[in-house]
Order: sequence, then structure tokens, then C-alpha cells
Amino acid sequence: MTPTGRADPVVELRNASRWYGNVVAVNDISFALGPGVTGLLGPNGAGKSTLLHLVAGLLRPSAGQVLVGGRSTWRNPTIYRSIGLVPEREAVHPYLSGYEFALYNARLQGLPDPPGAAARAIATVDLGEVQHRPIGTYSKGMRQRAKIAGALVHDPPVLLLDEPFNGMDPRQRLHMIELLRAMAADGRTILFSSHILEEVERLAQEVLVIYAGRLAAAGDFREIRRLMTDRPHTFTVRSSDDRRLAAALVADASVFGVELFDGLLSVRASDFAAFTRALPRIARDLGVTLFELHPSDESLESVFAYLVRR
Amino acid sequence: MIRAIVEVTVRGILGRRRSLLVVLFAALPVLVAVVVRIGGSTSDAVSLSADLLDALVVRTVLPLVALVFGTAVLGSELDDGTAIHLLVKPVERWRIVLAKLAVAAVLTIVLVALVTLVAGLVVGAGRGAERIVVASAVAVAVGGLVYAALFLALSLVTSRALIVGLAYVLIWEDVLGGLLEGTQAFSVRQYTLAIARLLAGDDGQAINVALAASSAIVLSAIVLAGAFALATRRLASYEIHGTD
Repeated sequence: MTPTGRADPVVELRNASRWYGNVVAVNDISFALGPGVTGLLGPNGAGKSTLLHLVAGLLRPSAGQVLVGGRSTWRNPTIYRSIGLVPEREAVHPYLSGYEFALYNARLQGLPDPPGAAARAIATVDLGEVQHRPIGTYSKGMRQRAKIAGALVHDPPVLLLDEPFNGMDPRQRLHMIELLRAMAADGRTILFSSHILEEVERLAQEVLVIYAGRLAAAGDFREIRRLMTDRPHTFTVRSSDDRRLAAALVADASVFGVELFDGLLSVRASDFAAFTRALPRIARDLGVTLFELHPSDESLESVFAYLVRR
Repeated sequence: MIRAIVEVTVRGILGRRRSLLVVLFAALPVLVAVVVRIGGSTSDAVSLSADLLDALVVRTVLPLVALVFGTAVLGSELDDGTAIHLLVKPVERWRIVLAKLAVAAVLTIVLVALVTLVAGLVVGAGRGAERIVVASAVAVAVGGLVYAALFLALSLVTSRALIVGLAYVLIWEDVLGGLLEGTQAFSVRQYTLAIARLLAGDDGQAINVALAASSAIVLSAIVLAGAFALATRRLASYEIHGTD
């Protein structure tokens, strides 16, 4: 896999791996990120959190290097002047109010005006109305925003977010997307993880696809999307005459395999777009009625597995 | 920075139900002292105070209160995940350990030294036991600091710090300390008793301890510094694992 090459990267992994005994959580990953929003996409258990924790200096790389601004993140607390981290775990001190939590973060950052910075962070995440309520009484979405306020309070050039949209309602999600876009437009480097393709699609210009601890794809989101779309697809078809339809389909250039098994016609298409145009035409020419057509391998897992196999 | 950590830690500790139970437990020697005083014991007040403070405060309340606070100040935040917000800040790890130790030690010392004074004076006030009571309170403050540092470090070494700490107090200090004299060199209880004996002057003869006061002071300093260094080192290399 070709890493996203940059002359002057802000976040960089060089052949970074992390293993626990015999289990490899992150496997020889290299990439370089600059300003903008990058989505870290992968199914649950792919190693996204481990990767983010490596970048955040919370895990020691078993091999390779993890750098932010050219400096190693492991055992280097000064790096946190440049990094804001929003962890996936909901753990936030329940006895503090949202404002107190932001203030606590501002004081730990050693900012010159902690109350002012906390107030700005609270306003940024739109938590003003409940800022003096204990976090223990917050909804999941509110807690998420309190965590983001804590991570933003020192205005970091690098923001790492682990599943940041968890628990947010659509309005909050939209607000957060706009906020992160604006921060990226200001020149910040934002890396966020998600297992939801649509979230990444709406926010990220660049994407890192991770599956089973390996970097399956990296680069421009549209390019990755095209790879995902153009991969071989398998469809299940039900029609008025599956046998005749199968014989005709196998002769089409967009199809490289058909199978009739247990009364089900399974078609493997090499070209997704061409196949979806060809199928109705072929069926119409044969006088065959199509009852049902559905993709049988559209789970993200299968898409990621395909990208890794490439 | 340290002040922010101290304030949030104190709020976290005092808000826990366990802390209320600790306060109630720590008040036990006062209750016993009241019973003894009302009972009108005819024993020598100095010996009585020494026995009461040794058995109930130094052997029982001091290590257990320090164990609860020492393991909770950082260990509970590591367990519930809130420590991550502290660890991703540009704060040197020794400052974090110092702030946490300050909270654990001050809470332990204030609570146990107060209990020592009150319980001791209930038994011995006006009967010539004031000096041994005050000496014990000062010694308890030193012991509280050393215990707190030890248990704070323990919470960074094992996730079962409460159990290991309890084993140290009950098995190492209590059982082995009585059977094998050599183990007393590694017993914070013995340091506390030896310092109390030193400070109590002639009344200190009532405190039964084999360790020399000079050794106790040096060993207390070594354990304190060692525990602090170990905690700082462990925290600097502390890893937080992802959920996937």
C-alpha cells in the first residue's frame, strides 16, 4: 500500500506496528498527514483506536516510529501542547460540570486565561445551556461534546477524535461536521475514526482504510470510493427464468461468473456500473421478468477485506 | 497545574461513598477510647494510650486509610478511564504523582492524626499521657506519608493494588513482622512506632518496637523517595489501550 506521501507531514507513521503477545493490533503501517480532515475508516476491531492511541502517545509502538511535528509521541508529554484527543470511552469526571471540565483541561494546558479558554470551548461545542450541570447528568451526545470542548480548549494544531459522532443526534452531528471542517480550513490536521462510511464521506477529503490492523487503502476519498465501487460485486438475482438469464449474462463483458445453486442465481460482476446497466437490458431482450436483485457482499467487512486483498 | 489536579482529585475522592466509610472506620479508636475512659481503667495512662494507639491506630486505621486513599487518587481514575484526560496534557509525570501523593497523604494524615489526638487525649488527657499522644500523632503523620506513597506506587504497578496492599499490611507487617524480626526493616508500621518512641522521650518506653529511630527515619526517607520514583517511572510508561 502506498502511504499518503507529503514533503512536510504533521502526523507521520513509519512502519509502525503494535502487538500484544502473538496478537498484532497494528501491522507495519506507514502514512503521512498534513492539514485537513482525514478519516480513519474500518470495521469494529480493525485497530482504529489502537492506531489513534499510538498517534496520541498513549501506546508504545512495538516497532517503527510515530511522529507528530517530527517528534516522537511516546513518553513525550510536551507533545500535548500540539495535540487534542477525544477518546472513544465516555469516561469523564461525572462530578464536574461541562464548564469545570473545560476549565480543568485549560489549567492543565497552562493557558494564560483558563476561564476565557474554557468559555470559548464550551461555546464552540454549543454546550452553553447545560455548562453548569454535572456531566453525570448529561446525555451521551452532551458528554461527547464536553470531551471535545476539553480537547479543543488549547486550540491544538492536531486533533485526534475516536468515533466522535457516537451518541450525537443529526443536528449535533451536522454542527460538529461544520466545526471540524472550519478547523481544518484554518490549517489544522484532523484525524478521526469511524466505522460508518457515510460519516467519513461527509467530512474527510482523505481517508485511511484499516482492516485487521493493516492499512488497506490510503489517499483521496473519491479514489478509495471508486475502488470500493469498482471492485467485483456479487448479486443474487431472482427472475422468471433464471437459467436463460444466467446463460445470457455469462456472455456479457461486465460479468465474469454466474452460479445457479439451490434455485438461486448468483452473479459476480467485474464492473459494477456496466452490470447494473446491462442486466435490465438483457432481461428485457430475453423477455425475462426480474423479481429481485440484491447485492450479497455489501457489508463494510467484505469491502475492507477486498481492499486488503488487492 | 498541580493545584488543578489536587482540586479535581479531592472532589473525586470525597464524593465517593467509600470515603464516608473510611471516615466512619477511622473514628473507631475514638469510640474505643471513650469506652475505656468511661470504664474507668486503672492502668497507667501512658501505657494505656500507647497500647490503644499501637493496636488501633498504627496497626489498623493508619495503613487501611492510607491504602484506600493511596490506591484511589490515581488508581481509580486509571480504572474508570478518566485519567486519559490528565495523561494527554503537557504535565511532567512527576508533577502528577506529586499532586496525587499530596492528596492521599494530606487526607490520610489529617484524618488519622486527628483520630490519634482525640482518642489519645480521651484516654490520657490530664493523666500525664499528653506527650506520647502528640508524639504518636506526629509519627502517624510521617507514617501516613510513607504509606500513601507506597500504595500510590502500588496502584501503578498492579490493578489489584487494594488486595496486594492489604496482604502487605496483614501478612507482611502483622504476621511476619511478629515472627521474623528481619522483616521489620521493611515495615512502615515499625518506622511509625520507632519515630513515636523517639518523640515521646521517656514516655516512649511504653511503645514496644525493636527498630532504632535513626534507622526508621532513614528507611522512611528511602521508601518515600523510592515509591515516588517508581510511581513517576510507571506513569511515564503507562499505556492506555484502545477499544479495538
